[in-house]
Amino acid sequence: MTQARSLIDEGGKRTDGRTANELRDINIKVGVVKNADGSALIEFGKNKIVVGVYGPREVHPKHMAQTDRCILRCRYHMTPFSTDTRKNPAPSRREVEISKVIRESLEPALMLEDYPRATIDVYIEVLQADGGSRCAGITAASVALADAGINMRDIVSACAAGKVDEKIVLDINDTEDKEGGADMPVAFMPNLKQITLLQLDGRLDKDQFNACLKEAISGCERVYEIQRASLMQKYFGNEPELKNGN
Amino acid sequence: MSASRRSTVIVENLRKLHMKDQISNGKRLDGRIFNESRPLSIETNVIPKANGSAWVKLGNTEVVAGVKVETGEPFEGLENKGALIVSAEVLPTASPFVEPGPPDEETIELARVVDRGIRESEMLALDKLALIPGKIVYTVFVDCSIINTDGNLFDATSYAVVLALLTSKFPVYEIKDEKVVDTGKVQDPPINTVPVSITFARIGDSLMLDPTTEEEVCMDARITLTTNSEGEYTAVQKGSNGYLTIEQVLQAADIAMTKGQELRQRVISIGKKEKA
Amino acid sequence: MQEIRRKFVIPGDTIVEGNVRPLLNAHRSGNSIISSRIGIAEVARDGAKVIPLSGVYIPRVNDIVIGKIKDHSSLSWDVDICSCFSAHLPAQDLFGRDFSPARDDMNRQLSVGDIICARISTFDRTRDPILTVQDKDLGKIPFGELLRISATRVPRLIGKRGSMIQTIESATSTRITIGQNGLIVVSGKNKDGIELAIRAIHMVEEEAHTSNLTQRIRQLLNVPDEQQEGSTNRDDVVQEAVDEPRADVLANNERANGDESSAEDGNYSK
Repeated sequence: MTQARSLIDEGGKRTDGRTANELRDINIKVGVVKNADGSALIEFGKNKIVVGVYGPREVHPKHMAQTDRCILRCRYHMTPFSTDTRKNPAPSRREVEISKVIRESLEPALMLEDYPRATIDVYIEVLQADGGSRCAGITAASVALADAGINMRDIVSACAAGKVDEKIVLDINDTEDKEGGADMPVAFMPNLKQITLLQLDGRLDKDQFNACLKEAISGCERVYEIQRASLMQKYFGNEPELKNGN
Repeated sequence: MSASRRSTVIVENLRKLHMKDQISNGKRLDGRIFNESRPLSIETNVIPKANGSAWVKLGNTEVVAGVKVETGEPFEGLENKGALIVSAEVLPTASPFVEPGPPDEETIELARVVDRGIRESEMLALDKLALIPGKIVYTVFVDCSIINTDGNLFDATSYAVVLALLTSKFPVYEIKDEKVVDTGKVQDPPINTVPVSITFARIGDSLMLDPTTEEEVCMDARITLTTNSEGEYTAVQKGSNGYLTIEQVLQAADIAMTKGQELRQRVISIGKKEKA
Repeated sequence: MQEIRRKFVIPGDTIVEGNVRPLLNAHRSGNSIISSRIGIAEVARDGAKVIPLSGVYIPRVNDIVIGKIKDHSSLSWDVDICSCFSAHLPAQDLFGRDFSPARDDMNRQLSVGDIICARISTFDRTRDPILTVQDKDLGKIPFGELLRISATRVPRLIGKRGSMIQTIESATSTRITIGQNGLIVVSGKNKDGIELAIRAIHMVEEEAHTSNLTQRIRQLLNVPDEQQEGSTNRDDVVQEAVDEPRADVLANNERANGDESSAEDGNYSK
């Protein structure tokens, strides 16, 4: 989409006061839903998302189970009060597509062959949305999956980059999403260095595409540090590790 | 069509024995006495984009309610009043037994009972929320998402709705050239009264206030009573497939009035603090 | 070879590089051994493993578990063992080989809601776990207080050669039956003893990853600190040897050792 008005001022500040490669504030709390096997609450800028994970567990109906591996079921759902205008509770086509791409972003990280005939259910509930909710959802879902003790090859970290005023910027917000030139959400496994989600909405030439991808991946790496810290805090608190040898 | 169903949750016989033992000492499984409710924690304005919101934790039961105010057509027969629509959804995160999908009869009953408590008490002065009577009125949506269940969704959801409404900021709409215009200003919602819901479960001959999931599985019957600031009952619902004696109903009604009044003070003071 | 005692890891973290054998909850990726779980990594001569700190119980043959009767078909009971699958207890296990559904009433032996202590006799990738109650100390548990902890904390609760659980039992005059799946029944004559035992169990669950836990448990129970006999003077997260006659403690000890024949403990796909 071609931009209508300028979204970056002369001082280089964006609509929410950030500079081009500044990430919004991120806060992750682990283990917030008591009944779930794993859970996390994330505040990513103004996005507020709760994720609950159940699994591995029995599949109902039984015929959906696969004999040689676990199935992954993923639901991205927005509460009616999460958006500017009230959203109808029935699932929209957008939610259906996002549920699918999120599932496909998490599957590569999970060792599903370890749990044949079972299912892992990931429920992403968006309580407040503000641009980049799918990335925030994936970020929280990875933490919830680790909290649930599911065998994983790596954590999945997600962040979007985009084009605003012909500049590549990191972590676009709602206004930039709606009015800007391009939006590229990316999910990345930081240790394996593999991309598991990639979408583009907008117009980017070759150089812009490369720059945008790099920017998003660097954002993912910064998100990973926060995911890691939140898990360490919950599980190990301030407990000192014994160093090698003794 | 509504059909009887076996409970999906099975309470272990050892727990039932333990419950019986505790009851004979006037206590419940978690150590509470019969008339005691669980710790209640309330956070408001948790969804800043919404016009009002509240996150309520009643023991381990957690509910988030959000208020969205828009404009629309009035309900048939209520041309001079704003429209209020209260809905609830039990999120699939809430327990291992919840599946995503359209609301089942229990969730629909929950939403309607909570709505009744708010509507019949006339908590919101809907007559002040008409713009062009018969054509355009304020439409107030209150949506509840239940995040974790451990019994007594009725009270937890009701408290979330009441607090979200009490602490909300409504937009100020005006009519210019027959069209609705958002002036950009905000106003306090027109509040008449503060309804408070109190729920009991009958287990054997005893009434337990604010039941947990285990107690709800073991209960014979349930009763929810909502009272307003004027000392009136505005909504009552008996639930579950057992009975209540007349004495039990009167006893519950009595306690609901006193406990309701206690809780109302707390709710109002939280509402005031948020406004300040 | 590099030995690592205690490294805190999350999934994807490198535990160690080089020619090291991946064991429990560890896998090889290129030249590195990677953790698959959140937990405490240890590298010793036999390989690298991660003691997990969270995760649903995955059934294993010969594990002792505590389960709840949910339902029954004409030939077996359906048992909830708080795992990813329902378990089944064949009626023949209690009635004998000549069990006949027409003549024998299953409810007379076990009804919905009953708690049993059982051993997993069969389990593999293709079917649900089958239970048996035929060994000593197994069967219906008629009395006691039921509680649940994470299955990953059970080895810590049992302790080296059953030391932790026996300390709690003798200090509180209770009998504690532990299922590998994290369900526990505490029974005893003294109400205060039972309450104290439950507090101690919850303390172990919350602090399983810390050092000096045994000391703090002893303090809670008012037990004097003795000189610990044995090879080490530090708290182990995983116990070393097996020599217990009690059915539940025996099975749990073997389990926690990470039976080296199945390198990927915690999953049943191997």
